[in-house]
Amino acid sequence: MTDTVKMSSRVREHKWFTPWLLVAPATLWLCVFNLYPALNTVYMAFTNKKPLGGGEFVGLANFARMLDDDQLLYALTNSVLYMLVCVPLLTMLPLLLAVLVEKKLPGLTFFRVAFYTPVVASAVVVALIWNWMLDDRGAINAILQALKVVQEPLPFLTDRWLLLFSAISLTVWKGLGYYMIIYLSALGNVGRELHEAAAVDGAGPVRRFWSITVPGVRGTMLLITILITVSSLRVFSELYVMTGGTGGPGGRVSSVVMLIQMYSTGFTGHLGYASALSLLLFVLTLVPMVLLARLNRKDG
Amino acid sequence: MARKEKQRAYAFHRMSAGEVVVRYLLLAVVLVITVLPFVWQLSTSLKGIDENIYTATPRFIPEHPTFANYTKVAEAVPVVDYAMNSIIVAILVVGGNIVGATMAGYALAKLRFRGSRLVMGALLATLILPGEATIIAQYVTVRSLGLTDTLLGVALPGMIGMINVLLMRAAFTAIPDELEMAAKVDGANAWQRLIHVNLPGVRGMLSVISIFAFIGAWDDFLWPLIVLTDPENLTLTVGLQYLSGTFTNNPRLIAAGTMISFVPIVIVFAVLQRYFFRGVEEGAIKG
Amino acid sequence: MSARRLVGVAAGLAMGLTAMTGCGAGDEPSAGDLGGKIEGKVSIQTWALKPKFTDYVEGVIADFEKENPGVEVTWLDQPGDGYDQKVLTQASSGDLPDVTNLPPDFALPLAQQDQLLDLEEADVDLDKTYVEGGLQGYRYDGLDGTYGYPWYLGTDVNYWNKDMLAKNGLDPANLPTDLDSLIEQARTLKEKSGGKVYLMTRKPGLNDLQQADVPIFNEDGTELTFNTPEAIELVQKYADAYADGLLPKDILTDTFQGNAELYNQEKAAWTTGSANISGLEEANPALAKGTEISPAFGDGPLYVQGLSVNAKSKNLAAANALAQFVTNPDNQREFAKLAPGVYPSTIASQEDPYFTEDDGSVAAKAKVTGLKTLTTAIPNNPKVSPAMSTIIDQQIALAISGDATPQEALDKAVEECNKLLAQ
Repeated sequence: MTDTVKMSSRVREHKWFTPWLLVAPATLWLCVFNLYPALNTVYMAFTNKKPLGGGEFVGLANFARMLDDDQLLYALTNSVLYMLVCVPLLTMLPLLLAVLVEKKLPGLTFFRVAFYTPVVASAVVVALIWNWMLDDRGAINAILQALKVVQEPLPFLTDRWLLLFSAISLTVWKGLGYYMIIYLSALGNVGRELHEAAAVDGAGPVRRFWSITVPGVRGTMLLITILITVSSLRVFSELYVMTGGTGGPGGRVSSVVMLIQMYSTGFTGHLGYASALSLLLFVLTLVPMVLLARLNRKDG
Repeated sequence: MARKEKQRAYAFHRMSAGEVVVRYLLLAVVLVITVLPFVWQLSTSLKGIDENIYTATPRFIPEHPTFANYTKVAEAVPVVDYAMNSIIVAILVVGGNIVGATMAGYALAKLRFRGSRLVMGALLATLILPGEATIIAQYVTVRSLGLTDTLLGVALPGMIGMINVLLMRAAFTAIPDELEMAAKVDGANAWQRLIHVNLPGVRGMLSVISIFAFIGAWDDFLWPLIVLTDPENLTLTVGLQYLSGTFTNNPRLIAAGTMISFVPIVIVFAVLQRYFFRGVEEGAIKG
Repeated sequence: MSARRLVGVAAGLAMGLTAMTGCGAGDEPSAGDLGGKIEGKVSIQTWALKPKFTDYVEGVIADFEKENPGVEVTWLDQPGDGYDQKVLTQASSGDLPDVTNLPPDFALPLAQQDQLLDLEEADVDLDKTYVEGGLQGYRYDGLDGTYGYPWYLGTDVNYWNKDMLAKNGLDPANLPTDLDSLIEQARTLKEKSGGKVYLMTRKPGLNDLQQADVPIFNEDGTELTFNTPEAIELVQKYADAYADGLLPKDILTDTFQGNAELYNQEKAAWTTGSANISGLEEANPALAKGTEISPAFGDGPLYVQGLSVNAKSKNLAAANALAQFVTNPDNQREFAKLAPGVYPSTIASQEDPYFTEDDGSVAAKAKVTGLKTLTTAIPNNPKVSPAMSTIIDQQIALAISGDATPQEALDKAVEECNKLLAQ
């Protein structure tokens, strides 16, 4: 705040209402289409609301029910694992990919467009292909057996941990192109002169990557880390398609969002419990978000 | 000056033959990983009715390639009309995001004002809110505005995406403050600074959010389904669902339908990517 | 399609809004008079009949309008995906069409909310007009009345790949007729083919328990009770078969490749499916010709579709008349002819030679076999919610994988489902 005072004493910044005019449309949308429904979710978490009927106040019953929910425990474990694997992979791989397609080479446009295609692919197609590749007699098991890496086919689609691993691969596959694009637009701001100077000084590509590219896109990297953290906690479609919507044997390969989906869909959905789960998810996601936002502010 | 820059850039770009080969090899590997599924889908859509699409080893090249599936899709569903509806929705959403997210992103990145933290906090919070929960609330809102069964009603909730505001903010933040200060000294007001000083620097991110917004609007299924009733107003994703009805389930037709809805996105991306790659290079020279 | 549900995740979550804000139900429109004159504007909503049956539906509507000159009918057809969410939105915001195609499990909650007309009030002898199984779908424990005119019915038949059976030492003339003979033949098939192909390709579900006469609910419908010794034995048989490698490993998750897909791909010699083989004919024409049809094991499942009338319809008489007209024997017969595998729900149609005629083709065999099953088939219990189905599915998968005993898994499933029911 003291900053502001100093600055405005030097140069008249802007009329007091200008920023508000600028953020007004976004704020309106925020309130109508995001905050209002969210507040409603908070309200419903304390009721036994169903899609048609219900809605009596039940106090903390929905939250008490969480303590006794094995599936929630599985879901939380899975989310943590997801985060641990996805955050490093999806922060680095798309950056490497962006550096790879940044330089001018003949035919590069084609590659750039091609790399983005998984992002726009329909989940059904993706599920079909991945199941085809990962099943007992699928391409990947065939390769592994041919290379004598394994004797028996690996149960990618049925074993709890392998299934989770398969879903994570799918997330990474779909995320590559998406984050690559964000990095690409940020790479424009990394000074080429710095690269050249470093090259003249004899710094190899690896060193230049770590000492120039990475610091240059740091702000973007933090934003992407936040996005990945949040989406890891909120993972849904990959687990959903890989388990055919069941959450795997015993429901051990599900996520919190899958539970929300399970409890809230259909005519007899338990909207109260689903809302309570949404609140839990919100609080859980808040922790890494606040940490990262704080880091971001220091940098910014 | 500009010429000199160019020459230096050129010199820097010269790669050894080995590096070029390595780069292409890597590109090819990633290419196989990313596009194989679509080749398979395309191939399915071109297979004739007499061709078994489920052979033990998948065949990528159809024995008797045919466009019959595409003609059938066009006969069953008014593809062109639906595509027009989808384009209208997508344009509204892209336009809304370009204007709304740019304005808010600029204010949050470059202007200091009371309450900006509050807005930022709320924006970040929406990222983690289960946004999927909002659909009926949205419907009630759109209904009270009298916009059910209209394309504007479909576009409305997505016209300013909070993630796009955040992305634009990140882009504006990356522009050096000196430019902004200099313009202030010259007496430019906030709007002039936004349009003349800052906007050229965020063209790359603008094309990024345009692509995101376009894809989001184009692929959305459940929301248009709920808002729209009149068959003439349907968007392509909803309309194409009629291909996989209760009594019809021909994977070739569904594959053809998927390709029909998929191709425009690839085109939009292919067109837009030029702008933001140009943006990338411009930014580099200014750097 | 599944990912689209991502959008729909917790779509219902916000349903409460409507009740909360009061915008939902809106002003109670004064309902029309059931005994009144058949006139005015009415809407009818069908599910996934476009574009294949456009001409048919438009024809039926034109006939109805001709018979009732004062009526103007608007036809809405919804795509297959997302229909539950669409109907939920309509119901909670007071936009339900005058006549709506609702399967029994969709109709139950709407009937509980007094949104649907009790057809016992209408001027028709339901029991003399519609088959019992169809009507059962719209009569609920603890709720008086009938809440839908049964429309088209469906059931499952068994499909067998004759070549594959014969090649692997089995006799296509001596097909399995129950679970034990199925497992026995699956063993032979596995041994002869060296495990390359399978006979059994799905894990059991609630439906299989129901077919084995396991009571799903107690008598008052207040508690689930399917963890009986019979159910445990059935799941155990599957678990043993799975351990012996008689089923593909990945059946534990219902991934995209269901048993029908594996059959179409000639990786499995058996599947169950509707009495409509046109899907198979499209996917694998050669296999369709080499397919043998047999009746479903046990009583067979019954799939019911019906038309419900919006109790708050402004032109109740016209809406009711329209629903009766669409489900009358003539119109149903025409529909069933256009949609193989579908059977009329009217008693008068059951003797129709069209459905009993067998011209020797595989398609006709399927049609005739399905019709025979129809009389014994049992409809699914509409009280089992999607969440319950998911839990049951997960626990049965766990038991079959061997990570829990069938007893443990079924007990757990019953416990969790009862928690859901109590909420």
